[in-house]
Amino acid sequence: MKEYLKEKEGLTPLLAQEEAARCLLCLDAPCSKACPAQTDPAKFIRSIRFLNYDGAIDVIRINNPLGGICARVCPTEKYCQKGCIRAGLDRPIDIGALQRFITDYEESSSYKALEPAKEKKDRVAIIGSGPAGLTAANFLARNGYQVTIFEKHKKAGGYLTYGIPSYRLPNEVVEKEIKHTLDLGVKIVYEQEFGKDISLDSLFVEGFKAIILATGYDSPRMIPAFLNNPYVETAVDFLSRVKNCDGKVALPDNILVIGGGDVAMDVATTAKVLGVKEVTCVVREDKEHLPASKKEFSEALEENVSVITGFNVKEVHENKVTFVGSNENITLNYQADKIVLAIGQKPSELPLNIEFDKDNLPVKNYQTEIKGLFACGDITDGDKTVVSAIKKGKEAAIEVMKFLEEKQNG
Amino acid sequence: MVKNVDISLDFLGVHFENPFVLSSSPVGNCYEMCAKCLDEGWGGVVFKTIGFFIANEVSPRFDNLRKEGTSFVGFRNLEQIAEHPLEENLRAIKRLKENYPNKVIIASIMGQNEKEWEDLARLVTEAKADMIECNFSCPQMTSHAMGSDVGVNPELVKKYCQAVRRGSKLPILSKMTPNQASMIPSSLASIEGGADGIAAINTVKSIINIDVDSFVPVPSVAGKSPVSGYSGKAVKPIALRFIHEIHSCPELKDVPISGIGGIENWQDAVEFFLLGAGVLQVTTAIMQYGYRIIEDLTDGLRHYLARHNFSSLKEIIGLATKNVVPAEDLDRTFVIFPKFVSEKCVHCGRCVVSCFDGGHQALTFTEERKVVLDKKRCVGCFLCANVCPVNAIEKGEKVLKKDLGR
Repeated sequence: MKEYLKEKEGLTPLLAQEEAARCLLCLDAPCSKACPAQTDPAKFIRSIRFLNYDGAIDVIRINNPLGGICARVCPTEKYCQKGCIRAGLDRPIDIGALQRFITDYEESSSYKALEPAKEKKDRVAIIGSGPAGLTAANFLARNGYQVTIFEKHKKAGGYLTYGIPSYRLPNEVVEKEIKHTLDLGVKIVYEQEFGKDISLDSLFVEGFKAIILATGYDSPRMIPAFLNNPYVETAVDFLSRVKNCDGKVALPDNILVIGGGDVAMDVATTAKVLGVKEVTCVVREDKEHLPASKKEFSEALEENVSVITGFNVKEVHENKVTFVGSNENITLNYQADKIVLAIGQKPSELPLNIEFDKDNLPVKNYQTEIKGLFACGDITDGDKTVVSAIKKGKEAAIEVMKFLEEKQNG
Repeated sequence: MVKNVDISLDFLGVHFENPFVLSSSPVGNCYEMCAKCLDEGWGGVVFKTIGFFIANEVSPRFDNLRKEGTSFVGFRNLEQIAEHPLEENLRAIKRLKENYPNKVIIASIMGQNEKEWEDLARLVTEAKADMIECNFSCPQMTSHAMGSDVGVNPELVKKYCQAVRRGSKLPILSKMTPNQASMIPSSLASIEGGADGIAAINTVKSIINIDVDSFVPVPSVAGKSPVSGYSGKAVKPIALRFIHEIHSCPELKDVPISGIGGIENWQDAVEFFLLGAGVLQVTTAIMQYGYRIIEDLTDGLRHYLARHNFSSLKEIIGLATKNVVPAEDLDRTFVIFPKFVSEKCVHCGRCVVSCFDGGHQALTFTEERKVVLDKKRCVGCFLCANVCPVNAIEKGEKVLKKDLGR
């Protein structure tokens, strides 16, 4: 039985050795071509196999400042493990578990893969301390740039801290991972909201030579029929409320979750873990096209969440929802004590004269039409996952460095 | 079920209900241990070596070599001979024979001079042991007048065998150390001195692990460690080589051999028989898994004999000896090319890596992860098949070198 505050145990050294020994050590390994953030599992698994744990830390950490987080939350079955050749024999290598083994080992060792840069280059402001902002900050700082992150909340991490449930990602893990970046000299100032406490002008005036917007998808999507319904809470609000008080919330006996992505599974599993008797997820997609990762879906099933696929919301009357099946013939009436909407997120309005294009901020090489203003993470085009945010943060940092170097030289 | 396959063996005139016995070691250190192993089905025991010398042992005293997730690839121990008083050990041997008359009780002895060897032989004979094994081979004795330092000196071996022969009429096995270039001189000396058979091998002198932070070999005894005996699966190839050396030596070909070294399963056992060994002795696998391994040793051996229609164990002894030949006698006229079984291949590319880095650069990997063989470069070494994780590489076409212009 899962506990809300307790993540599952990581691999012991013996189990990690055994798992690494299962790896076929492929030539031109497919796993290493499948990570959006360019993690090279083939190389770090080989390092584990040959007991070079510090070397494995280098492979993970130099490429991905949030390697310990990705190890826990990445839907590996869609990326590295999808191409794993071992799957042709029995089952893929548990790459996430091996990555976690190494990053856990790193926490217990004095070894540091990254060191603060010696030189001091231009100042860069980053708005938002989610995975994209943190990654960009890390890459800039290790290259000598002086980075300040402006975070609107009291804690850093964005969705990592305020969204992903503790049993999947405890806050102490997020804090330790962020510390790797702080140790490079990055500063975070809290409770600074863009458009309220800070603005582009104020930041440029203060001496920042470039600004990266990484504010994320922090606003829940709504179905108009559920607006102003007292029984309804959005998934983002629910998850952050629960995580903020370490799971000590009063919940009703019966919760209806609408949505079928990882966030919906997080809500449903969290509710079950916290003792809610009946948790039902109603999903628009059919089972083959369920957006949630297999791992999250099966965890929800393990906790006895009921998942009903292929049903759309038809009518809402207070706490009674009528769904209609995809073939239009079947209707489903559900009465819940509480309804959680997990149908996705979108960006908040930004105090800029730039229009979002289908919820993506238009950028060219991560630079917006405003000179010196860059953007990355969920608010730019691409997948809205942690690993994708890391990729974009990394790439945006490189573009910022190019921009600042050109400015310096030209 | 293979109930009716006889795996008993007559060895040095003694009947063994099955050919598996404990070797002289920590696994047969007292009456209770030996009684338990006999109850579980072992054919006999070589009781842990006894002598007038009583060992004072260290802590810790064992370590094992790992590879990836596998422990006990090899095993190192620091124990010497029996730690209990001689009288107690003799009583145990006597009691074992009384209570297990159908099992074979072998007394392993080690003296520090001729008189001790002769006295020990007499004492164990009086204790009603079935056979004597002379331990000329323990590599970690605290006295250089004992153990493998004696075993590499044929003159001493002969002298001590003669002493044992004076003290007893029982069959005598002489247990040899592998810590020498050839076992022939000391084996011949044993037989000349009056031994009836050879037991091989004892442990290999070793250092298996060093703590790289403290610079102390493992196991560390207050920060120090000696060179000591290595055993287990890793020494099986060395043991088989020595068994073959003795059995193929014309002067020793009729001398019974008790095989020892890394035997864990029936297949290991059969390999020893095929190279000429009779009764087999086991320790390391018992230390790791317990006496219960006897069930699969005996059962597996019965199934093997049944599968091949052998009616007794004797029939298979030495069957492989003639197939071990000097390198100069091998047929060097042909090349066998590997055959890649596409239904089995998982496209990992390991064969390609090894062929280039350790072979003859005969394999290439396509964009679609297919292996392509260049017969012009292939020498048929089969490194590819050795590294294949799914046995997808088999023996293919056999071609004479002259037809290939080689």
